[in-house]
Amino acid sequence: MGLLAAGIGAGIVAIGAGIGIGMIGKAATESIARQPEASGDIRGAMILTAAFIEGVALFCAVICILLVFFGG
Amino acid sequence: MFQTIRRLFLTLLFLSISTSHLFAADADSESEEPVIDVMGTVADHDYFKVPKFINGGKLYLPRLIFWEDAEGATQFSAFSSTKKAIESGLFEDVDHVLTPVSGVITLDMSITSHLVYFWMSMLFAVLLTVAMSNRYKKGFGRDVEPKGAFQNLFEVFFVFIRDEVVRANIEGHKADKYVPYLFTVFMGIAFMNLFGLLPWAATATADLTVTATLAVISFFVIQFSGSKDHWEHVFWFPGVPTPIRLILTPVEILGLFTKPFALAIRLFANMLSGKIMIISILGLIFIFADFFGTVAGYGVSAFSVTLTVVLYALKTFVALLQAYIFTLLTAVFIGMAAEEHHHEEHAADHAA
Repeated sequence: MGLLAAGIGAGIVAIGAGIGIGMIGKAATESIARQPEASGDIRGAMILTAAFIEGVALFCAVICILLVFFGG
Repeated sequence: MFQTIRRLFLTLLFLSISTSHLFAADADSESEEPVIDVMGTVADHDYFKVPKFINGGKLYLPRLIFWEDAEGATQFSAFSSTKKAIESGLFEDVDHVLTPVSGVITLDMSITSHLVYFWMSMLFAVLLTVAMSNRYKKGFGRDVEPKGAFQNLFEVFFVFIRDEVVRANIEGHKADKYVPYLFTVFMGIAFMNLFGLLPWAATATADLTVTATLAVISFFVIQFSGSKDHWEHVFWFPGVPTPIRLILTPVEILGLFTKPFALAIRLFANMLSGKIMIISILGLIFIFADFFGTVAGYGVSAFSVTLTVVLYALKTFVALLQAYIFTLLTAVFIGMAAEEHHHEEHAADHAA
């Protein structure tokens, strides 16, 4: 049961993080296309935001790992 | 000294190219349990993994243990290895965990492989930085242009951290005070991550205790650099009604702790997942060979090894990226804490 929960959870996490990072990428490429001279700043903000989303996703990944090993 | 470091670095580079990572996967396969012990290879060990022809592949590390005996008196025991500890008769092996025959362990100060890699990367960072600072003292990079690929590479990283990470996120005159700490963190984490890519090596940052220690240090640096405004924003948010402050204050206090927690988990999970991914993909070879015979193993290895090479390149990038992100986020948090708001001045501006 723990394994099933971990698998489903990891899948949902991947969906959420994928949508989030995809939206950042979309917004960043659009803004770079619109204003190429600001690409440096935009890239920095993009990496920072992506790191935050990734952090949330990895929290959930850790929970899934815990479920696998201690979920029974 | 510079020559020595370069030679050592080249040797390590040569080692990393000329040997395969496969040894990591089959290291613990003598037990009758699963074909591949994924968690066993990423976990911390009481030995230092070396090539098979030296001492059977394991150099045992000393165990230093504070423990309480049956009478409740605190004892300190030091052994050169786990085996010696068991031979001494004071300890026994219970499910691969060293336990006193009578009594409990209060504090296990044993040196483990992750600790050794932590020290090693810190030593590398210090040696490199000291060597470079000596060159700057001699005038290279100050009076004349930096000389040699190594110093140029170093300067790229240093200037990047100083300008893009620290000065961009921490305002004004305070910024340069934090450059030494943040650069040390960057170098330390980058070396730890990159050491993890070497054959037989362990990734120290794929251990929650290591990343948590780094995050705790960052936590204290962030809090001690907090300005008066920072604490006011935490405990008594300016400009909102009191009932809302009652909700905001616990959230803000919680926020103080979630930031370093996220730092620790992010680094840990990134490095761990990279390692698990490579071991799992290489492990497919052995699993297929076990189920469908040797030929299937060879067939899968073509796919696995190709994928691993790609993943390895990705991991090299991620190793530096995660070091950068840890440094960047610490700098952002320090910047947020050290920032001084100017409410009164704004109010005065509006009035005027």
